[in-house]
Amino acid sequence: MAEVRVEAQRGYAGELLRNRKFLIGTIIFLALLAVAVAGSLFVDPVQRRTGSFPARLPPGPGGLLGTDSLGRSVAIQMSEAVPNSLQVGLIAAFLGTLIGALIGFISGYFGGAVDAVLRILIDVFLSVPSLVFLILIASLVKGVGVQTMALIIGAFAWPSPARQVRAQVLSLKERAFVQIARLSGMSGLEIIFRELMPHMLQWLGANFVNAFIAAVLAESGLSLLGLGPQREMTLGMMIYWALGYSAILQNLWWWWLTPILALMCLFLSLYLIHLGFDEASNPRLHSQV
Amino acid sequence: MIAYLRYLSERFVIFVATIFISITIVFFVPRLVPGHPLLAVFNRMAAAGGSLNAPQLIEEYNRLFGLDKSLWEQYVRFLRELARGNLGYSIGSFPSRVSDILTSAIPWTIGLLMLTTLISWVLGSLIGAVAGWRGGKSRFVQALVWAALVLYTIPYYILAIILVFLFAFQWRIFPLSGAYSVGLSPELSLDFALDVLRHAALPALSMIVVSLGWWFLSMRSLITSLKGEDYILQAEAKGLSNRRILWGYAFRNALLPQATGLAISLGRIVGGALITEVIFAYPGLGWVIYNSITSIDFPVIQGGVLLIVFSVALANFVIDMVYPLIDPRIRYQQAGRG
Repeated sequence: MAEVRVEAQRGYAGELLRNRKFLIGTIIFLALLAVAVAGSLFVDPVQRRTGSFPARLPPGPGGLLGTDSLGRSVAIQMSEAVPNSLQVGLIAAFLGTLIGALIGFISGYFGGAVDAVLRILIDVFLSVPSLVFLILIASLVKGVGVQTMALIIGAFAWPSPARQVRAQVLSLKERAFVQIARLSGMSGLEIIFRELMPHMLQWLGANFVNAFIAAVLAESGLSLLGLGPQREMTLGMMIYWALGYSAILQNLWWWWLTPILALMCLFLSLYLIHLGFDEASNPRLHSQV
Repeated sequence: MIAYLRYLSERFVIFVATIFISITIVFFVPRLVPGHPLLAVFNRMAAAGGSLNAPQLIEEYNRLFGLDKSLWEQYVRFLRELARGNLGYSIGSFPSRVSDILTSAIPWTIGLLMLTTLISWVLGSLIGAVAGWRGGKSRFVQALVWAALVLYTIPYYILAIILVFLFAFQWRIFPLSGAYSVGLSPELSLDFALDVLRHAALPALSMIVVSLGWWFLSMRSLITSLKGEDYILQAEAKGLSNRRILWGYAFRNALLPQATGLAISLGRIVGGALITEVIFAYPGLGWVIYNSITSIDFPVIQGGVLLIVFSVALANFVIDMVYPLIDPRIRYQQAGRG
């Protein structure tokens, strides 16, 4: 049984590595990550202060990627913003997928009254745009940092994984191997973690990427509304400051364009990775697009 | 009929639960912050340099919402005031009522989004139908699909920023921000209407282009999947013209699911473009919320949040109610699911 599972996983990994969309997406993502890590390794923190460089310098050899109107280098801001934005995505996606998977498992596996209540809860939070609650909470929490923001976003990222995990569990739990496990005296939680979880892992991967996209989107959205981490840099905060200091009107295009391009690359890479996951776990999708 | 009623009652429970849970969150979250529920807000305002007569305001709030009573009594009062449509007073522009501030913003948001959603739906569906009918072999269609995928991936406000740069700054075709020129006051005249249209053009364009990709992709895949259906084959066998089969048979059948998508988007328009409005300083709900965030006007934020939740929940419920009557297939699926 265990060997069959390993075999299936290996086939899945191979399928993923042969998928062109997954590969392109991963390469873009890793490139972004590498630039960010290299940046944060070589940047002297003192240079992050305002006025470290002459203001409004266009991109060129001196002020790599240009400087903003407060005398901060755009490149150095990026070296702080990209890792921070990725951090928000990572923490929030992990938290959201975890809570969602847990609720989905419990709801689908135990059924009955528990399921009825949880299903209503899932439907409720799916129907309300989560940005609304995020606005409410972020406007009350004083001086959010990157991590706090990630936690708040993650706390509202569970409904969609929860619904999908529930549906999967419903279809899995009538299969023979779960019945056998139940007959051999495994407890509910044991069945969830030892029998159902392995079947869900590849599928949770796609969900995780989805949650990642949503979290980065929520971060930049909240930041643009003025609810971002004011003392730290994220891609959303870079755009916020650029718009706040009317970078467009001052024709400081490098200031607002750089974070926007980074965000677009990030979303494109994550979306391609997501498509790759989908196609690898459901080969029938191959023919489309 | 009984199946429909059961399904309906299930949907109604979700409608009520959505509103109830949201109100509860809105009520309890500020009270998790230690101290007076509004004191934190006042302190932040004071720190930001805002001057106001806080004691008078706090008193007014205490009286209205019974903030000196027990939590349970406060909650009941909160529900009662909400049921009367009382969202309290704005702190930033006391004594304006929150409900008045929101009511004056809503028409801008709904006007802009209703129009753009409809335009983009019609355009996207038409182009998507033709592309789906042509099939995936044509290079042009493939390029369209990739363009639509890219549009679908990027966040809607990014396109808005790029459009501002190109059309308002670089080429100066459209005004940079606002809903009408400074100095004009809203009136029923041709000049004012043209001015409003000119100001709405850029935000509208950004909304249309971004959602166009989605409508295109969805209609295209619907038409593609319908192409193998028996009635299409029969129509072909009868020798009907290609155009007639596409628009008279395939498109008409794809219209129903596509219309559901439209209904769902229309249900979300109230909270749909908060950030676009911020970028264009368009005086709708998003702009009001943004301004209350910068001036730490919590009651207005809270009122805006409740308004969005309520309209989304109501729209969802109406769609759920009407849809099975139009398409009976849905009804049985949904009822069987429960």
